[in-house]
Amino acid sequence: MNSENSIAQTGVLQPHSDPAVVRGGRDRRPSGGQSPRVRTTRADPIRTLGRVLVWAFVTFNLLVFAFLILSSFKTTTDIFRAPWGIPGSLNFANWTNAWNESGFARATLNTAGLALGASFCTLAVSAPAAYVLSRIRTRSAGPLSVFFALGLGIPAQVTVIPLFEMMSRVGLVNSLLGLFIIYTATHVPFTVFLLTGFMRSLPREIEEAAAIDGASPFRSFWQVMLPLARSGLVTVLILNIISMWNETLLGIVFLQTVEKYTVSLALLNFLSSMQFSGADYGGLFAGVCILVLPMLALYLWLWRRIIEGITLGAGK
Amino acid sequence: MTLATPPVGEPRHRRGSPRGTGAFDRSRRRLYLPFVVPALVLYLAFVIGPTLAALWISFHRWDGVSDMRWNGLDNYSALFDDPTFRTALANTLIILVVAGAAIFAISFVLTMIVREMRGRSFIRSVLFFPHIVSAIVLSIVWGFIFEHNGTVNTILSTVFGTEPIPWLNADNLFLMILIGTVWISTGLYVTIILAAVDRIPRYFYEEALLAGANAYQRLRFVTLPLSWDVISVAAIFWTISSLKIFEFIYAFGGTTNDMPPPAVWNSALFVYGESFGGRSPSYLFGYASASAILMLVLFTALIVVLRRLLRRDSIEF
Repeated sequence: MNSENSIAQTGVLQPHSDPAVVRGGRDRRPSGGQSPRVRTTRADPIRTLGRVLVWAFVTFNLLVFAFLILSSFKTTTDIFRAPWGIPGSLNFANWTNAWNESGFARATLNTAGLALGASFCTLAVSAPAAYVLSRIRTRSAGPLSVFFALGLGIPAQVTVIPLFEMMSRVGLVNSLLGLFIIYTATHVPFTVFLLTGFMRSLPREIEEAAAIDGASPFRSFWQVMLPLARSGLVTVLILNIISMWNETLLGIVFLQTVEKYTVSLALLNFLSSMQFSGADYGGLFAGVCILVLPMLALYLWLWRRIIEGITLGAGK
Repeated sequence: MTLATPPVGEPRHRRGSPRGTGAFDRSRRRLYLPFVVPALVLYLAFVIGPTLAALWISFHRWDGVSDMRWNGLDNYSALFDDPTFRTALANTLIILVVAGAAIFAISFVLTMIVREMRGRSFIRSVLFFPHIVSAIVLSIVWGFIFEHNGTVNTILSTVFGTEPIPWLNADNLFLMILIGTVWISTGLYVTIILAAVDRIPRYFYEEALLAGANAYQRLRFVTLPLSWDVISVAAIFWTISSLKIFEFIYAFGGTTNDMPPPAVWNSALFVYGESFGGRSPSYLFGYASASAILMLVLFTALIVVLRRLLRRDSIEF
């Protein structure tokens, strides 16, 4: 009966909906008889070594990002002379140069518009599809869901050449609108896939209650399902924003003039211009920070959602 | 045509649903087409259509400007005689297998350690972070750390007084890309595996401990079987994402405005390098498409095989 007791306890402690909430290891075991046994295994040297390695890895990642930010305030000579030195004064010259002269201001605007606009459009197109695929039982719903999931496996390098030809016929090469359409469409499979799985896991009872109250199916979708699925919608929206913000291969093929560049292209452009204008690592790292910091901010704000969304995708 | 099926579908609709929802279900079916078609059209037009078009283009000689000329399977046979493609193929597979094995091994070990640590939520967030940073940035940083007068050589020379090691010369470049790939991907898989392991009820471990199982036995007989579903999905996920790797290699070691050396190309770089990429693009659209299709077919086959190999009866708990 002891084990029954712990079944009940772990059942309570494992909210299967959100693994991210299981915090800090404090939830590990019910305070019961056998805990001293567990504790004896914790002191062995292999485990200590493991912990040291984990912390080394964590420290490495933190140092890398500290290094990026520090370096963006330094001159190139300072970066090489004392890579880990704290900059003597906050030198914003790199940032203003990158922002004003290397085209990062324009690029940031372009990318933000693209990523926000296209990810909203993807969501607007995919959420209804996911709703009917997860709720309506017709013979085609199952195969169609699988068909959408196939799109996850098609990499951009397969489609890029035909897409380029298609878009150049309608004059949408070197156009942010063209890239906007492509980003919207290419993120549909992932969004439909994730949302179909998510909506399937939501309870039907509330919708049934709404139906009995006489709500039309459209109203039920709009006023019951969408609010119910809000966390899934927000998660997939953020994942798409991140993916579009960082996207490079399609951008590099479709955008040819500097004023249309996205941030990653502006950074690559800066990288290649260093060959002629001399190594300006301070400026490079300022550009790097412009690419990274918005994502860092998003991550600090919504890390739980982001992690949850990614593990949700894999858990299906 | 889906709307024509209800007479068959209706009677066996949901068990236990209140009667009043029958009419609701019927009118909801009318939403099916209008709701699914926009997404389907975009998907067909911009993903499936172009994939089929790439297959068509791959049987032609074409530079994107002049007329397409049919040349059957010549592009494909030419690929196998092309040392650049053979290198790209080998590199893609090495990334898949070698980096993949390292990523999964390291992720598993890290997961086992991290799950018992204090501050694991923080650790996981930090390890995961590279996944949402642009691979270009990670590539620049990775290259900078290992440059001739970069961080690693500086540390080595101050601590051990060693001569600078040429990490980024032609011999080591691909190895550094492999290690870098492991670095940026591990956090993602730690997160995924950790989430799977967290779902395993604690009492299985307690039972195992009472039965005297050691750490390896607990891994082998509790953790692995009970998280197998997620691990096999993660393996397929890695297979797909490894084919998509582009930015990290493209920007690596780079202060040039050209493509990286062909010795480090993978499939994505090969396609880009034979079509739009480089200082003087070669616009071999047919040839590049053939390589893309070949890799897609190869990876589809790999995924089918992998699914077979990884299939286990799923365990309910």
